[in-house]
Amino acid sequence: MSLLELEDVRKSFGAIEALRGVTFSVEAGAVVGLVGDNGAGKSTLMKTITGIHRPDSGAIRFDGASLVGKDPGDIRKAGIEMIYQDLALARMRDVAANIFLGRELTRNVLGVQIIDTKRMYAEAEAMIAKLGARVKSVTQIAGQLSGGQQQSVAIARALTFNPKLVIMDEPTAALAVREIEHVLELIRTLASHGIAVILISHRLTDVFAVCDRIVVLRQGAVIADDPKSQTTMNAVVAHIVGATDVPRQGAAR
Amino acid sequence: MLKTLIAGASALALTLAVAGSASAADKPLYGALMKTLSNPFWGAMEKGVDAGAQKADVELFMEAVESDQATEPQLNACNTMLEKKPAVMITAAISSTNLLPCLKHANELKIPVVDLDGNLDPEITKKAGVDVAFHIGSDNQAAGAKAADYLISALGKDAKGSVLVIEGLSGNITGAKRANGFAEELKKAAPGFAIVASLPGDWDSLKAANITNDTLQRYPDLAAIFCANDDMALGAVEAARAAGKDKLIVIGVDGNVNAVKSINAGRLNASVAQLPYLVGMQAVENAKKVLAGEKVAEFTYVPTLVLTKATLDSKTDPLLQYVK
Amino acid sequence: MSAALSPPASPRSWRQRVFGAATFRFESLLVLATLTIVMTVLSPVFLSVSNFFNIVLSTSVFGVLAIGMTFVICSAGIDLSVGSIVGFSGVVGAMTAANLNLPWPVCIVATLAAGAFAGWVNGFIITKGMIQPFIVTLGMLGVARGTALVLSDGVSIYGLPPEVVYLGQGRPFGVPAPVIILLLTALVAHVLLVHTRFGVYAQVIGDNENAARAMGVRVERHKTLLYTLSGLLAGLAGLLFAARINSGEPTAGLSYELTAITATIIGGTNMNGGRGSIVGTIIGALIMGVLQNGLNLLAVRPFYQQIAIGAVLVGAVWFDRVNSKEGWRR
Repeated sequence: MSLLELEDVRKSFGAIEALRGVTFSVEAGAVVGLVGDNGAGKSTLMKTITGIHRPDSGAIRFDGASLVGKDPGDIRKAGIEMIYQDLALARMRDVAANIFLGRELTRNVLGVQIIDTKRMYAEAEAMIAKLGARVKSVTQIAGQLSGGQQQSVAIARALTFNPKLVIMDEPTAALAVREIEHVLELIRTLASHGIAVILISHRLTDVFAVCDRIVVLRQGAVIADDPKSQTTMNAVVAHIVGATDVPRQGAAR
Repeated sequence: MLKTLIAGASALALTLAVAGSASAADKPLYGALMKTLSNPFWGAMEKGVDAGAQKADVELFMEAVESDQATEPQLNACNTMLEKKPAVMITAAISSTNLLPCLKHANELKIPVVDLDGNLDPEITKKAGVDVAFHIGSDNQAAGAKAADYLISALGKDAKGSVLVIEGLSGNITGAKRANGFAEELKKAAPGFAIVASLPGDWDSLKAANITNDTLQRYPDLAAIFCANDDMALGAVEAARAAGKDKLIVIGVDGNVNAVKSINAGRLNASVAQLPYLVGMQAVENAKKVLAGEKVAEFTYVPTLVLTKATLDSKTDPLLQYVK
Repeated sequence: MSAALSPPASPRSWRQRVFGAATFRFESLLVLATLTIVMTVLSPVFLSVSNFFNIVLSTSVFGVLAIGMTFVICSAGIDLSVGSIVGFSGVVGAMTAANLNLPWPVCIVATLAAGAFAGWVNGFIITKGMIQPFIVTLGMLGVARGTALVLSDGVSIYGLPPEVVYLGQGRPFGVPAPVIILLLTALVAHVLLVHTRFGVYAQVIGDNENAARAMGVRVERHKTLLYTLSGLLAGLAGLLFAARINSGEPTAGLSYELTAITATIIGGTNMNGGRGSIVGTIIGALIMGVLQNGLNLLAVRPFYQQIAIGAVLVGAVWFDRVNSKEGWRR
């Protein structure tokens, strides 16, 4: 049984069919690259996994249990974290608040759950240090950090609660060369600890550098799903643009 | 830094607008709390209070609020005025109840309370334990009756027709008395008339205009409209004339400056002048008497005068001098 | 590996430690202090205990409204119906006492419940109907006011139970009861906004609603709660208003929503949502109270007071933009 299993997942927004029956799976500790052209449905698929969208039909199982109908909070608790393309940070709050967004640490004061800022600052600092991120202080306001620093915060947030699966949506798009290498290093580290990673990226060199398998999404369906060793960058590009255009699994019925 | 300067500057600049700066401390200070100054009726009463204060040689501290529905702000203003420990508090309460806590406090401070223009219901003040030195105003009931008498004199007591009554602010005792006085007199003296609708116009001319239009839709042969104040009457008459109803008789109450203009121009038919100027002036006179220990009647009614084009043209009536 | 983290996080500034993460606009406190000094110079009676109580008393009703408004504005929403709910809830409460002769606890509960219900309806329509708060609460502004007028037949309902009147006119320990109620409400609201998830989520929803949702905040449920809270506080304000004048007036609170919004903005809460401060809102309300009271003492016409308040509002926000060193701007 795989860690994450998707079976014939479909999602439409009104008349637009965004996902037309997606099927693939991810093993524990695997790094899967998800590639495809703009509008292929990559972000929609990930948001369906994390619970922001509810699939119209199909199955999504994580650790054997179904995720369909669960809300994003519960899915995070189950062990799936995502680093969104826009980072999903609260720009007016500080680093620690962002790291613990949605899962603030509290302590009981006279029967009321009060946010335990002291503990949050301590643990946020620890996580930032562990990541080696260049963030001076966890009391800095997120909106005042640089793009790279903000991403460190988003990453720290995703890793703080020991996830089993981390999804990264275009993590290297706005980074400098040195920072990109850090992200790839991080992905390898996560995999070595048994944490699965789904990497969405249009930078195929990055994908081929860290991923075990490459899944190509085109027009809402999977048209290629190969281990890295059995495919090439050219083949993947061909799939993306539709040169091969024989849909592999469950597309239009 | 700049912000504090702006705050200070605006506060200082506004003190230039203060009417009568507070320097001389020898003359007794009379406090007068009006409703709102945006209505000419109250503007005339303010002038009367002012004239009365000058005649009585006292210093006047007058306040008003932004609208005649601002009950809480008026209560706040009342509390603030008591801080200055005036010799007497002359108040025109927006409702029968909104100033009671403050007036009670005035009683405790031994500051006599004067009910200006009969806004305080004596039953309610007695029940609340508030002592009012005297009530002065126009007899609103009689004013309404006088309006009915004018209508009867214009159309004849055996005439038949439908009449619209536009009341004042809901629940306000002044408006209620005027409407009531009109209705009762009309029923008694000319039963041929039927009041087809009696709706609150909230002292607002636009509301009255809308009510007039709506009523004319249902009763195109409306004979007359009685409004509990001039602002509403002016709104009603504009709506009526605009609808082509030149024979429709419109009567207001107050006799304010705009009504006089309208009557002179031949638009509004009549207004029962309540002589607010005289009310204000006499209120201060009587307050001075109370402070000197003299006896003053508990209820003083200032006479009213029905203003029509004829009355205004002839210029003979002595009360005309108080029409401001 | 990049350079390790430098010395452990710098200690938070004293402002942050005392007031929590939501710092208010410090300049507003300066404005309040300056106004107080100016008014004292111009009217010696200004600086007295009884006048001070008068000022806070006069701000108590719209101050409570502003507290609720702070939460709503933090979430990038707005509640235009609170003034009408003041009238609506006051009428409901007065009716239970004067018309139905029910005991005084019923009067209090009914008033608060009426407000909370109206607020809940707002929240329900905003989240389920996915209609902008401006429009929904604008509609409720009319519905609540109209309902108040219908229920009361347009007339004030006089005569509340003495226990209820005490809430508006009593002076426990010499302090006007509404003042105590305002300060208690502010205290609870401050703790809620800054130190609980409820308040933090209200701010995060205004900061980045999609992020909040993605991170597991139940946004729709939370928004409904916020508007219900706003309505509940409007009910409390309605109770105070009715108790102050011992009657349920359908026209109570007319245009108080604008006053509440003004106090909130002067106090430093970001109009676009995201950061808010109860402390700031109270300061904003006091600034308006000081202005009104001081100008009343100087017998300045009410029209000038309106000009002054409008000028202070725009001035406060303008200079904050110019002087702002914090990254509140987007």
